[in-house]
Amino acid sequence: MSRSYDRALTVFSPDGHLFQVEYALEAVKKGTCAVGVRGKDVVVLGVEKKSVLQLQDPRTVRKVVMLDDHICLAFAGLNADGRVLIDKARIECQSHRLTVEDPVTVEYITRHIAGIQQRYTQSGGVRPFGISTLIVGFDPNDTRPRLYQTEPGGTYSAWKANAIGRSSKTVREFLEKNHKDDMSRDETIKLTIKSLLEVVQTGAKNIEINVMESYGKISALDLSQIEAIVAEIEREKEAEAERKRSRLAATAAGQAAMSQAAGTQQ
Amino acid sequence: MARRYDSRTTIFSPEGRLYQIEYAMEAISHAGTVLGVLAKDGVVLAAEKKVTGKLLDLSGVKDGGYGGSGEKIFLLNSNVVAGVAGITADANSLVNYARQAAQRHLFLYNEDIPVELLAQRLCDLKQGYTQYGGLRPFGVSLLYAGYDPNYEFQLYHSDPSGNYSGWKATCIGANNGTAQSLLKQEFKEDMGVEEAIGLVLRVMSKTMDSTTLGSEKLEFSTLTLDPTTKQPKAKIYKPAEIDALLQKHDLGKKDEDTEMRA
Amino acid sequence: MDISFALTGKGYVLIAADTTAARSIVKMKSDEDKIKVLSPHLLMAFSGEPGDTVQFAEYVERNMRLYHIRHNHELRPPAAASWIRRSLADSIRSRKPYAVNLLLGGYEPRERTPHLYWIDYLGTLATVPFGAHGYGAYFALSLLDRYHDPEATLEEGLATLRRCIDEVSKRLVVSPGKYKVKIVDADGVREVEL
Repeated sequence: MSRSYDRALTVFSPDGHLFQVEYALEAVKKGTCAVGVRGKDVVVLGVEKKSVLQLQDPRTVRKVVMLDDHICLAFAGLNADGRVLIDKARIECQSHRLTVEDPVTVEYITRHIAGIQQRYTQSGGVRPFGISTLIVGFDPNDTRPRLYQTEPGGTYSAWKANAIGRSSKTVREFLEKNHKDDMSRDETIKLTIKSLLEVVQTGAKNIEINVMESYGKISALDLSQIEAIVAEIEREKEAEAERKRSRLAATAAGQAAMSQAAGTQQ
Repeated sequence: MARRYDSRTTIFSPEGRLYQIEYAMEAISHAGTVLGVLAKDGVVLAAEKKVTGKLLDLSGVKDGGYGGSGEKIFLLNSNVVAGVAGITADANSLVNYARQAAQRHLFLYNEDIPVELLAQRLCDLKQGYTQYGGLRPFGVSLLYAGYDPNYEFQLYHSDPSGNYSGWKATCIGANNGTAQSLLKQEFKEDMGVEEAIGLVLRVMSKTMDSTTLGSEKLEFSTLTLDPTTKQPKAKIYKPAEIDALLQKHDLGKKDEDTEMRA
Repeated sequence: MDISFALTGKGYVLIAADTTAARSIVKMKSDEDKIKVLSPHLLMAFSGEPGDTVQFAEYVERNMRLYHIRHNHELRPPAAASWIRRSLADSIRSRKPYAVNLLLGGYEPRERTPHLYWIDYLGTLATVPFGAHGYGAYFALSLLDRYHDPEATLEEGLATLRRCIDEVSKRLVVSPGKYKVKIVDADGVREVEL
């Protein structure tokens, strides 16, 4: 027992589970929600932003960070773990440029990050990273937007759209229903916000949107822009509900008329 | 059941929590209060001292905050002072690490370490202790008050998990909830250092358990710019200076003689 | 045989370097860029042992970029200069030292001041109003002593630079034909025509 520090903390249980990895995923589920959506030639990262406390400095609350000129990352889970993992990824980005002159591809850095996460599930005396990440970007000399996800166990995968963190299941289901291939920039942004609104009740002020349009061209939407889109979505929802109501009323009226007609016939 | 996940080193519980960190934070909520307020031309830190006694020798304190029996407030670098809350022994080793990190930066870049970078350095260390080595986390939260040319005056808070964030005014340790809400009510943007000192002392006097404030229970420091050199200047108050400051703000112990006369 | 000049003016630093890549007495190339853009407000001209120069410049470039992306702000010119000097000072005490001489020009947007540093392979660092490396230095320094003006406009600065280059092509036995000139000022870094 006294030498337990040099033993792996993440070990198989008799029924084949790696409990520490599964528990780390629970930590991820407690984190704020992040959504990534790929459009035709754009990729959008949206995150749920915790309300900044009145006396807090908003500059130091970062959920979306740049890894290099052309790659952006959002994470959900333990903040401190995220910071440390991001730092390792940033070093790799520059180190890669130094050794082979080219910037990293999105898949390469994703694989690298996943590799680090994997190591922390198999080395002695360490616990896994309590974070999942979404990595978006463009490969050098390429116009296809990319979106990847990594998990505490060290698995990584490419996605058209995906979500991590709090209520990510709900958001993912929403995305599965509503995602279309080859969406335009505005459609992609709108879908991202719409899916975030599934879990963010407080609206635009708790949403942060980053849009990457081509290699190295990235911009954040400001609050007024997000507010405008949220308002638009709400209007659409309102109109949809109105249509439903009137349709319901119409069918009800029709049914009533029919039963009345049936009544008189008898 | 919980025993499986909260003994030895820091590992995830089935709900994805890290109990060791939560317990460390619990330890801090019993520690002496540390309070920081950011003003437009400086930062103010105050701390409640727990080790007190008539025979405690405080004469060793030197200018600039080195030496002496400082328990809560330390100079980390010429541009950063920190207040600590939690396990004092852990705090000492963190302070030592921070001072080394600041000197390493000076050695490499020939400039004072940016405040956020220093906070980051410490947080990386703290995070490490929550993830590997089979060690317990540091049971210390810190407030950093500092200045650098990029973001000028700054106030940061870091906790045992290795998280940090910037603040305009905040508080750690015992009664931090009360202090936080007082700060929220009374904080004004655009405050000068003098006004901030008043605010800090007022809030401290309301949150501390003892009825009267005095130098034996309080540590106090400010970080401002030297008007001539435009360089950051930390001042950690000596006991006599603290008493004088308290008198000035009508919060100190009443002198018995004056009371008799009145 | 590399030649580089740099001078400060009102709110800018100008750096010029020849574009010749030579081996022994043979010119291999005449459009080599020997001025690296290290960050949005930092330029570095490098000269010395071919191979070492590029290797070291790239090493510096990546480290500057790493600092920038890690900390959300670029290294200030004095801090960058200290770090680079330290790298060279460590290097010369290692088993395989870099033989690289540098002129580092930067602009600090906050204080609106230009900074110029002269650094050599021994790890010497000097803050200078103007500087030069290579054979060009023998001819240019006296000219710069006479004509340099820290308050000069860009046109005046370029004129002074032209004097230096003309003097070198007039007096040096094997003078390079072409130069590349870059400027760093409040607007960042860009190439300028002589």
